[in-house]
Amino acid sequence: MNSLLPAQFVALLRREVLENRALFIAAPAVLALVLSVFALWAISMAPGEQLAAGVEYLSIMFDGLSPGEMAPMFLMPAIPFIMMLYACVLIYLLNALYQDRKDLSVYFWQSMPVSNLGTVLSKVVTVIAVVPAFYVAILFVVYLLAVTALSLLGLSYDVEVAGLGYMFMAAIFSLFLFYVSAFLAALWLLPTIGWLLLFSAFAKRTPVLWALGVFILLGLVEDLIFGTQFLGNWVESRSNFRQYIVLDFPMAMDRLFSYDMLFGLVVGAILITGAVYMRRFVD
Amino acid sequence: MTDIVEARGLRKRFGDFKALDGLDFSVACGSICGLIGPNGAGKTTTLKALVGLSDVEGDLRVAGRDPRISRHKLMEEVCFIADVGILPKWFRVNQVLDYVESVHPRFSRQRAEEILATTDIPANKRIKELSKGMVTQLHLALVMAIDVQLLVLDEPTLGLDIIYRKEFYDRLLNDYYDGNCTIIISTHQVEEIETLLSDLLFIDNGRIVLDAAMQDLENIYSEVLIDAQHYAEAEQLGPVYHRDILGKRAYIFEAVDRTRLRELGEAATPTVADLFVAKLRGANRE
Repeated sequence: MNSLLPAQFVALLRREVLENRALFIAAPAVLALVLSVFALWAISMAPGEQLAAGVEYLSIMFDGLSPGEMAPMFLMPAIPFIMMLYACVLIYLLNALYQDRKDLSVYFWQSMPVSNLGTVLSKVVTVIAVVPAFYVAILFVVYLLAVTALSLLGLSYDVEVAGLGYMFMAAIFSLFLFYVSAFLAALWLLPTIGWLLLFSAFAKRTPVLWALGVFILLGLVEDLIFGTQFLGNWVESRSNFRQYIVLDFPMAMDRLFSYDMLFGLVVGAILITGAVYMRRFVD
Repeated sequence: MTDIVEARGLRKRFGDFKALDGLDFSVACGSICGLIGPNGAGKTTTLKALVGLSDVEGDLRVAGRDPRISRHKLMEEVCFIADVGILPKWFRVNQVLDYVESVHPRFSRQRAEEILATTDIPANKRIKELSKGMVTQLHLALVMAIDVQLLVLDEPTLGLDIIYRKEFYDRLLNDYYDGNCTIIISTHQVEEIETLLSDLLFIDNGRIVLDAAMQDLENIYSEVLIDAQHYAEAEQLGPVYHRDILGKRAYIFEAVDRTRLRELGEAATPTVADLFVAKLRGANRE
């Protein structure tokens, strides 16, 4: 049976979610809870006139904007979630092909008719498409609460913020932007994903040290031999935080169909192939 | 009878240590083969090589495939329980059934559930909450519900108490083995599986030191308890091993006519455990 057959691949993705539910679900859920509680506390503690001024300010800012135009502004509260997403994915990738070797459950996984390619690709797809979906689901609840709270505040100060339906649509659109941003950023960072998976599959211990150490070493060797800093500059050129956020559809298309993206995808694919190769044996 | 495993000249090094040193053996379809050896003899490396988890040199075919090239295809025909292999601790029992059902084309969930129903394992418990014996029972239930050609068990009952060990082998023999599949078991507890086996492989220092069918052992090996006055005669027959027992000496002979041996004392077939010690001590003595 081909391990890329849909049912089997879905089972592999399900395994990733079940195994990493703390990283993928619990962590953003706790963040959402903490931020919501903090926001409610701040609202309850703020003086009435300040709140009224805040609601007034929002109503002016949203005035005349369509939900699509409002959506990028709704991405602002998602920034802590984006940061948490990257932190959790980093931890996940470093452990993805290491943890099961460490706890020896690799013998169970490898006793199943699942190819190494299927296993490694399931980790990549988890990062690119599955984890952002959980964040979107959690942010949906947060936005629902926020939009309701804003409308209630507006009602209490007799200010029409932007209309509940409009704000709700803007929230949905911003979640779409969040998902597309995360998806495209993951493709953009495919070389990093491949690099981390490669050392996760290779390292006998502390994959983080291997991943960082080898990168620094390669940079130093390049500098010593060629006197250039191509590697460092290339990574730096792809690590601007603004590159990870997509604010509209044309921006997404520009990001997706570029030579830079294609080059990154090729490098990422080579590194992922390396991870598949490293995964072959368990001794 | 065709062979399901054919291994020729298997070699494997870990640094300076030769884990496998030109291993040659074959396992016939339908047999229950015991791979017996001391610690560090190469048992686990051999079994890992059979299921494509160890990169060894040499010719190796398992169920018609090279495990090093197509492990995932091979694992449709072969099941493996590793000595240290543990089921993922975060899985719940029903989740592990879901997983295997989704990825293994030969798994029967109904059969696994029937087997589990005869145990005390609750379906919604996490594996980390189960005892070691229960985890092994669960793993065996999974394996028994998969219709494969070859079952490879590496010290499957390691660390279990005698009750679980006995249940494990009883179940394996009575509920699983039907003569169509082949089982390869490595274990230290030779006495417990002796009656199960149809074939025997002794391994030491990465080499096979004995390769025989159980039914042939009585024709090849004899153990004779001999009084002190016959020691010299016994030594002349070239015993492979001896040990002193209560003022007498038990000699083990290889390929010596039993009628000749009966002149020295009562001749019997040695137990696998005694034969194991004899072959290994004998090999070391040489």
